[in-house]
Amino acid sequence: MVVYTIEGCPFCEKAKLFLKEKGVRFKEIPAPFGSSEWKQMKEKTGSSSWPQILIGDSTVGGYLDLVSMEATGELYERLNIEGRMLDTPLYDVIILGAGPAGLSAAIYTIRKVLKTLIISKDLGGQVTWTSDVENYLGFSHVNASDLVARFEDHVKAFGVEKIIGVEVESVDLAGKIKKVYTDDGRSFLGKTLIVATGGRHRPMNVFGERELVGRGVSYCSTCDAPLYEGSAVAVIGGGNSAMEAVLDLMSLASRIFVVSTTPLTADPIYQGKVKKSPKVEFFLEYEPSKVIGDTVVEGLEIRSLKTGEVCTLEVEGIFVEIGIMPNSSIFIDTLATNSTGEILVDSECRTGVAGVFACGDVTTVRYKQVVVAVGEGAKAALSAYNYLINQR
Amino acid sequence: MSSKVRIFTTPGCGYCSQAKQFLTEKGVEFEAFDVSSDKDAMQEMRKMTGGARSVPVIAVCDKVLIGFDRTELENALKCLE
Ligand SMILES: Cc1cc2nc3c(=O)[nH]c(=O)nc-3n(C[C@H](O)[C@H](O)[C@H](O)COP(=O)(O)OP(=O)(O)OC[C@H]3O[C@@H](n4cnc5c(N)ncnc54)[C@H](O)[C@@H]3O)c2cc1C
Repeated sequence: MVVYTIEGCPFCEKAKLFLKEKGVRFKEIPAPFGSSEWKQMKEKTGSSSWPQILIGDSTVGGYLDLVSMEATGELYERLNIEGRMLDTPLYDVIILGAGPAGLSAAIYTIRKVLKTLIISKDLGGQVTWTSDVENYLGFSHVNASDLVARFEDHVKAFGVEKIIGVEVESVDLAGKIKKVYTDDGRSFLGKTLIVATGGRHRPMNVFGERELVGRGVSYCSTCDAPLYEGSAVAVIGGGNSAMEAVLDLMSLASRIFVVSTTPLTADPIYQGKVKKSPKVEFFLEYEPSKVIGDTVVEGLEIRSLKTGEVCTLEVEGIFVEIGIMPNSSIFIDTLATNSTGEILVDSECRTGVAGVFACGDVTTVRYKQVVVAVGEGAKAALSAYNYLINQR
Repeated sequence: MSSKVRIFTTPGCGYCSQAKQFLTEKGVEFEAFDVSSDKDAMQEMRKMTGGARSVPVIAVCDKVLIGFDRTELENALKCLE
């Protein structure tokens, strides 16, 4: 890329700064009025004003042309064809999130020989929060960290480029080329994005909860259950995850209070196991109203939804298992979501923004399961591939 | 002499495995304690953190980190250089 400039020209400075910010390498040719460089510029571009910007022999125009060409993504496409003059590489696909959905998508994009990058805070996603998985095809019983290790080995074998341990802070989906900004100050360019950011624990949103996380309030029973040997604990929730938490605690805790705003919704297989234990006491149609304790949890105040009666459970631990919230806040202005924040997708994982696909627990797709996320990841990848070929 | 980096874990804790893997990749030597079977380690971990009941707890030089946050751990590890 070449930029013809002249001293004292504000748009020349702007153009140079703009290119530097975008990581585009260029050669500056000073072209004072009447010089041979100026004549050359006039000949090549048909224009005698500064700056004049060229990619190879084809002219871009002035600063404003450059800005609009960048916004539509055309600039990067032309640069890429003209011999990769970009300091920031342009990926075919950037996958946000390395849970089952994102990792599965990566396998598919790599096998379609798409230049792929995965960016994620961690590897494995929610699978790392549980101990065993018994419903993933091919494994009658698998330790969750072994399953994650297998996922990791699979993407490693295909040489997928990945950046783990950074958070995506914002995205720019306006142009044809999508931009991704991470919390370590870097930015990345992709022709398509696959959003696979999954979910995080839904908090109770009651007084004292946030202050006592890690000091009695826990969202990971498989991690923290062993720390409550001999203690009384509360498990909040009535679904499968809550019953799993009860089972994790069963042999360790002295008493387990199950607090749920609804009757139990867990599968009968779980309910059966939990109801058998004399340690377990149910407070159904009760809601947690306050976490008690200064430096560590000392109790939980709950309120009956039927009578309004308030009582206090003397517990040292509170395991919160009331569902998952989608990690979609960075897309809230750009992608359509439903009332709970799940990204709306069609049957091909399209989001409504061209070139942006979503899959797994962050989307409206029903049934949040590993096998579902893996399938959705594959679909998103194939859709991204089809989109890219249609662009060619 | 105890190691400069100590990590307190439980077997079912995914973030503990990730933290250990991270330290291994960085070439940092560490000592790991499974608090579910090692009661002394559990006592020590709780004393060190002022009553925390959450794993992993990672002690680096004179810092004590509750949970695994790559950036936080990376910063804490600077004391070893
Ligand atoms: C306790 C528990 C037990 C479960 N048990 C089972 C089971 O037995 N069987 C089963 O099939 N399913 C189970 N599930 C559900 C299953 O784990 C999920 O459906 C599945 O993990 C969803 O995959 P995902 O890739 O869509 O999202 P996630 O697994 O949530 O992964 C999302 C990834 O995105 C990353 N991320 C999020 N936001 C950002 C950001 N801004 N920047 C960078 N990275 C980001 C996260 O760090 C994570 O790596 C369980 C879930 C829980 C919580």
